[in-house]
This record gives sequence, C-alpha cells and structure tokens, in this order.
Amino acid sequence: MGPDPFAMRAFRILTGVLLIVWLVLPLVPLAIWSFARGWRFPDLLPQEWSLKAWSYALSDTSGVVDSLGLTIGISLGVTVLSILVGVPAGRALGLYQFRGKQAVELMILAPTIVPGIAVALGIHSVFIALGLTNTIPGVMLVHLVPTLPYMVLVMAGIFANFDPSYEAQARSLGAGPVQTFWYITLPAILPGIIVGGMFAFLVSWSQYILTLLIGGGRVVTLPLLLFNFAASGRNDITGAIGMIYILPGLLILLVTARHLSGQNGAVGGFGRL
Amino acid sequence: MTLTRRALLSTAMTLALFSATQVQADSADGDALNKMTWDQVVELAKGGTVNWFMWGGADNINQYVSDYVGGILKDEYGITLNRVGLTDTVEAVNIVLGEKESGVMDKGSVDMIWINGENYRTMKQGGLAYCGYTGLLPNNALINWDNPAIANDFGVPVDGCEVPWSKAQFAFAHDSAKTPNPPKSIPELIGWIKANPGQFTYPAPPDFNGAVFVRHVFYHVAGGSQNLLGEFDQARYDEVATKTWALLNELEPFLWREGQTYPNSIAQMNELFANAEVALNFNYEPSQFGLAVQAGTYPETTRSYGLADGTIGNTNYTIIPFNSPNKAAALVLQNVLLSGEAQYEKARPEVWGTSAAIEISRTSPEIQAQFASIVTPVSVVSAEELGKNALPELQAGWISAIEQGWIANVAQK
Amino acid sequence: MSDRMRIMLLLAPAMLIIVVLFFGGLAAGLMRSFNYMPVIGLTRPNLEAYAAVFTSREFYLSFLLTFHIAFTSTVISSVLAIGAALLLRRSFIGKSVINFLFQLNLTVPHIVGAIGILYLFSQSGSFARLGYHWGLIAKPGDFPALVFDPYAIGIILQYVWKEIPFIGVIVLANMQAIGQDYESVARSLGASRWQAFRHVLLPLIFPGVLSASVMVFAFTFGAYEIPALLGQNYPAALPVLAYRKYTDVDLAARPEAMAMAIVIAVLSAVMIYLYLRMSRRKIRG
Repeated sequence: MGPDPFAMRAFRILTGVLLIVWLVLPLVPLAIWSFARGWRFPDLLPQEWSLKAWSYALSDTSGVVDSLGLTIGISLGVTVLSILVGVPAGRALGLYQFRGKQAVELMILAPTIVPGIAVALGIHSVFIALGLTNTIPGVMLVHLVPTLPYMVLVMAGIFANFDPSYEAQARSLGAGPVQTFWYITLPAILPGIIVGGMFAFLVSWSQYILTLLIGGGRVVTLPLLLFNFAASGRNDITGAIGMIYILPGLLILLVTARHLSGQNGAVGGFGRL
Repeated sequence: MTLTRRALLSTAMTLALFSATQVQADSADGDALNKMTWDQVVELAKGGTVNWFMWGGADNINQYVSDYVGGILKDEYGITLNRVGLTDTVEAVNIVLGEKESGVMDKGSVDMIWINGENYRTMKQGGLAYCGYTGLLPNNALINWDNPAIANDFGVPVDGCEVPWSKAQFAFAHDSAKTPNPPKSIPELIGWIKANPGQFTYPAPPDFNGAVFVRHVFYHVAGGSQNLLGEFDQARYDEVATKTWALLNELEPFLWREGQTYPNSIAQMNELFANAEVALNFNYEPSQFGLAVQAGTYPETTRSYGLADGTIGNTNYTIIPFNSPNKAAALVLQNVLLSGEAQYEKARPEVWGTSAAIEISRTSPEIQAQFASIVTPVSVVSAEELGKNALPELQAGWISAIEQGWIANVAQK
Repeated sequence: MSDRMRIMLLLAPAMLIIVVLFFGGLAAGLMRSFNYMPVIGLTRPNLEAYAAVFTSREFYLSFLLTFHIAFTSTVISSVLAIGAALLLRRSFIGKSVINFLFQLNLTVPHIVGAIGILYLFSQSGSFARLGYHWGLIAKPGDFPALVFDPYAIGIILQYVWKEIPFIGVIVLANMQAIGQDYESVARSLGASRWQAFRHVLLPLIFPGVLSASVMVFAFTFGAYEIPALLGQNYPAALPVLAYRKYTDVDLAARPEAMAMAIVIAVLSAVMIYLYLRMSRRKIRG
C-alpha cells in the first residue's frame, strides 16, 4: 500500500489526538479531586487546594494502605494459582485433539459468558456451610472462576503454536523432565504466561461483586473501599484512593508491555472462541 | 514489614488463625457471661478482639470509633477493636442471618452492630440477638430506661437486647445565600415545591433518610402522628397511604428531573445540594451539615432548621448477635461507649456533634460541665431547638408498609 | 502414559475448579431458587420464586434496560475498536502514545472509569461547568441528564471507554498476525481502500471481533458496580435488582434473587448462543 494522502494523514492525526484525550479524560477529575478542599459547581478548578484527602488515605484509620496490601496479595495469589492450573489445561487444549474437546472448551469458557453475580449468589450459601465466607482464601477461590478462562485461553493459543517435538528431542538426548521443561518448554510459553498472568491479575484486581458477596464486607479490597467512598459522596478521598488503585496496574503494564503487541499468538488466542 | 510481605504473610496466617481462635478464651457463651461479675467479664475480655460492624459512610465517625474508642479499648483493656464499615446496616444483619441458617452458632463473624428500626426488629424476631445482659454494664446506670423513646426502638421494646448509643433528629438545610426563605413546615414545603420546580427531591426508600422524609408527609396526611401510634392497622394505613401516594405523585413533575428518577441514596442527594442542583437538603444527623461546611463541601452560608409541625427523632443502639464469639469484649466496648467521656467526645461538633443517649444529669460534675461548654456551629441547628418539636417514630410494621407502598405506588408509576 | 491419561491429568485441576465452583455454584443457586434447602428444612421445591419474577413488571423493564445497555455498548465499542485498530496499524506521530494509553486503559478497573465518567458528565460535572462558563447553561438542571438517566447514557459511555481498548488490542493483534499482504493483492487488482477492507480484511478479523464482542456483551449484561454507581433507581439494571433482592431484610426475597440470577445466567447463554449461530452463518456465507 502506498503512502497516505495528506487528508488521510491529517484525519489520522486528528483522530489520534481525540483518542488520546478521550482515553485520559475520566482520570483527570479524579486526580484534581484528590487535591481539592471542596469543589462546587460552577468552579472549573477547586477554589481551595488541600492535602487532607491524601493524608487521610495514607493514614492508619482509613485502612487504605492495608487494603492495598491485601488486594495485591490476593491478586498475586490468584495469578499464581491460575498459572499453576491454567498452563496444564492450556497444554491439553492446545496440543491435543480428543473426544469431548469442544465440551471441555465450552465448560472452561462458560464463566466468561455467565455473569459473575449469577454464580456468586449460588456459591455464597455453599461457602457459608464450608466456612469459607468472610475469609481471604474464600475470596481467592472465587476469584479463580473469572480468571481461569482467560489464562487457559491464552495458554491454549500459545501451545497451539508450540512444537512438542523439541521436547521429544531433548528427552532423547538424555534430559530429565524438569530440565526439559525449564530449558525447552518454559522459554517458549513464557510470553503466554506473562500475558495470561497479567489478565488474571487485572481480573482479580478489579473484582467487586464477588469479593463483596463472598468476603462479606470483611475482606476489604481496594475496589470495595473505593466504591464505598464514591457512593457516600466523599469525592476528595475517592480521588486519592482512585489514584492509588490504578498504580499497581500501571506498574505491571510497564513491566509486561512489550508482550501485548500480538506477534506471539498470545493475545491472538482470544480469537479461538 | 513491606506491603507485599505483610499481605502474603496475612494470607498464610489466615488459615493458621482459623485454628488459633480456639486458643483464645472464647466468650461465646452468653448465659455464662450473664452470671459473672463485671470484673470477671473484663478479665475474660482482656487481650481479645471485637468486630464491630457499622455504617462506614462518614469518615469522622470512622475516626472517632477507630482512633478514640479503639484507643481506649487498646490502652485500658488490651482489646483490639476491628471496625468493619458497611454501606448498609442490613448487610451485617444478613451475615448473622446467613450464619444462623447454616448452623454457625458460636463462631459468628459479627460481634456488634450499630443498629435500630427495622433491622433491630429483624434481629429480635429472628432470635438473632444476645439479650438479658445489660444489668452487667456499670454504665447502664446512666441510661434512663423509663424514657419510652429509649426503652422502645421504633415501637419495639428493647427488652435488654440492645443498648443506646446516640440520639438523632431529622432536620432540613438550605443555602441562606441562594434560598433565604425556605419552607418551614410540610404544607409550606408542598406549596414551595410547586412554586420552584426542579429544586427539590428526596432519596428513594429504602434509603434511611428518604424513607423518613416520606414518613413526615405520611404524618401530615394523617393529621398528626398521634393518629398512627400503636400496632400496625391495615385499614388506617390504607386510608392514609392512598392519599399520601396521590400527593407525592402529584408533586412528581415539580421535582428534580421531573421525578423520573430519585437519588439512590442520601449521599447522592448531598452531592446535588452541594452543587446547588437542589435547593434543600435534609438529614437525620444535622451535625453532618456542619462537618460538610468544615470540609468545604457545602458553602459557608449553609443553615439548618427544624419544622414548625415537628420532625421525627429516634435513638440508635448497639446490639450483640447471639453467635458472637467475643461477647465479653463486646460488653466492655458497650460500656466504654456509654461512658460520660465517650459520649461527650462524640457530642463535640468537631468530632461528630451528635446528642448523648445517656442522661447527662447522671454523669459526674466534670462531664456535665464539659457538655455545657459545647458550642454548636452556626450551620447546625441545636439539638435543643429541634427537641422542642420532636415527633416519635412509628412501629416497624408501619415503616416497612410505608416503604413498600412508596416503591409500589410512587417509584413504579 | 497414554495420551488420554495425560490429557485428563492436565485438565484435572482446571476442570475441578470450574465444575465445583462454577457449576456447583449455579446448581446451588438453582436449588435455592426452587426454595429447596434441606439444611433449614425446606424440602418441597416449588416455582413460587420464578412466578414472582416473571409476573413482575419491574423485572421486564430491568431486562429491557440491561439488554439495551449490553447491546448498544457492544456494537459501538466493536465498530470504534475496528476503526481504532485500523488507525493504529500504520505508523504515525503519536502512535506509540496511543498504543500505551490503550494498554493503560486495560489496567484501569471499571469502577475508576465509572467514577470518572460521573465527575465528567453529571449535571454539575466538568462538562456542565464548561457549559456554564461558555454561557450555554444557567444552572445544573439545564445540562442534559447523562447519568442516572433512563437511557443509561453514562453507563454506555463508561463501557465504550473501557471496551474500545479491550477489543482494539485483540483486533490489532489479529491484524498484525494476518499482515497486509491480502489487502495489497486486492488493491493491486483494482479494489478501492473500502472494498479491500470490507471484503478482504473484515472477514479475516471477524472471528476475533466476534469472540471479543461476545465477552463484552456478557460482561456488560452482568456487571453490577457500574450501573450501581451510574444508573437510575427504577428500573435498575438486572444485576443491581438481583443484588437488591438478595440483601433485602425480607427473607422471602432470597429465592426470588436466586431465580433472577438463574434467569440472568440462562438468558446470557441463550443470547450468546443465538449471536454465535447467526454470526457463524455469516462467516460461512
């Protein structure tokens, strides 16, 4: 294809600028609110600035810092569990054809189609009997339901492009199963683990209704805290917590960004539905 | 400890904690507690934890509870206070309910709930509360149980199942700069709404504040609360309800958004008032207006007032669920909450500004002097002023009927 | 070890979790919706809860609203995402910035976006204040109602904001995997830009767009927190209604909430099945 005519280029740039503004826009009032002491209509900017919201958010009373640690811990735990469970499942779906494969695929992908609330209300009574409600392990278990499908989907895509004969070669040359995995398999599937792990982390990171129902308000993750303050109209504190809440996601992105630009079949795995 | 290490450690420890709770002196047996002396109860409670579930939407209340009350518990008794914030008190009631249904009889997750009204009735009728212990608390002597407004929670007798914490009375607010002459009675308000379309609204029941506003209109239509006291009367209800819904539906086109939607909660309405989308606000806790002015959320010219035909007032309480495993610690907490010092602290406007639930005349002279020295901010109408025209709450049967009635006849039309 | 054994072992942990937690949860919900709970002595299943749900006007209004939200958000996001992906295929000034922002958006949870939309588009929000300063409105009530409104405009805006990058990243990955050769061939044979896109590229990326939009539809249909923050009071979105019923102090509402949840699950599955059937036909035809 030849180079863009000028009109096309200008259009691209204009759309590009609009897109950039649009993507950033909702975050701006949140940031401003976190530094505001009251900000009433019709002021475009707060009349008075203050750090009270931040000092409250970072204090012990508000529980924000504890909640941050808790949420990170839960999401990391869920990510690790999803990887441990999802990689083998992805291997099975990516490398093999077998009777009932479609049924298995459908079952594993079902949680992406059925809304979480439908499942959560049902799980709740089961978890009460098992004593898993209001506990961190209980919340982590229930987070696995929405994260697992993404992990398996991504890993299946990776394994579909994986040639198992390399493993066979290594074994025939005398390598043990652990060595084979570590030197042959793992490097090949690592991009998938990173992308899948990122999705798993983010899905767990932004869970609200599952944590609310199963955690019973006792497991206070950041989204719960944020929702409470937003619903009670404390916009300044909401802004501060909101800023804190998007930070870890941003950090993870900076670390894993290059794996997201499609050339390795990981993200393309989403086309397998 | 770094955040992640702390988080990972807590994840690992939770399972350990499950078994560890057995080691801690278990004070789940309420009957046994009732037979002890106060000193024995305190001894049993020392070093323990108490999980207090309460509405968490006001950070000044959160700070008072976590810092001031939590500090006293920690310093004087070695008890750790775990304040659990809720969006709605019914969440805690549901937890206890769910636990009872699933057979969790003495390892409940809730040790105390800040409660009153319908939620209290659910707990009492469902056998979900720990009762009969109030005589144990030394500060029980400060409570005037002869006052029917305290001995009855929305018409349901307390019967030793809960202990008062604060008193509240409904009040209105306006920005004196923009709305210098607000309506000061329900009939005046009705006329004012029609004359000033789009300037008024109220949160949809079952929001607590929205529901009590609807009850004010209900009282007005009934010709006064004295006609509604006592047990729920279906015939009387139908008569008054039909006219009330007709009135509220008539007002709909003159409300904010032409009544097509109502704010989901009082918090949304506070937002509308702060930005002058509506001209009037109201709240069961007028001290909230002062705090909002302090925080810069409302303009300095905000003023609050009661109504000439009276506003509804109530007492709110703390209750201990039947299956709490930390009853001794909960008792100590309740005693602290009832103390003159704690009641004074929360009466201070810069802390919370809410009325005491104990008889101030029964406290020590020093405490009485402190109470006398309190100065209410100019934006908050004083409790005394409001108290001159206090209307009682109805029995819970009326409350739920009015709520359901509004939802069916006003929201859904 | 035979292949079959190996496959079963590999799948075992995942299947265990899905079957026990997901299907088990649905089954438990189903039982509760029939009012069947032996633990507390309810041993006579009945359909009362379902009767209550299907005779409730509120339920139908909620369903229509939720369907409208899901459908409109999915369509708008998919179309704009394809457009955005076409934009980002070529190099130009600012492409890396947009790429970064797209991926940043993926990490921003929905709640944060919803709160941001609220602060921007409410009648006393940032755009309203701009309008006041430009003399377009005199008071908040003059600004159009975009949040807490009957058409769920604010909710749709938030979903579109979040799902364009989601679908866009997937479509972009697909486009890069496909490459530009097919279109080049078509162009060299005389096809216009639009024809090359419509008849060559679009069919190739369609499967990817389809699966992404299915996920988006399912999510927007069943999400709770965004309509809870931005939605109007009546009728509320289905998940909000179900949660309200579940947490109602009146216990009789619980089986109704479960019934509603089961209905949501079944409806999602059916709608998506129909959607896939119709689109698969389009792919082959």
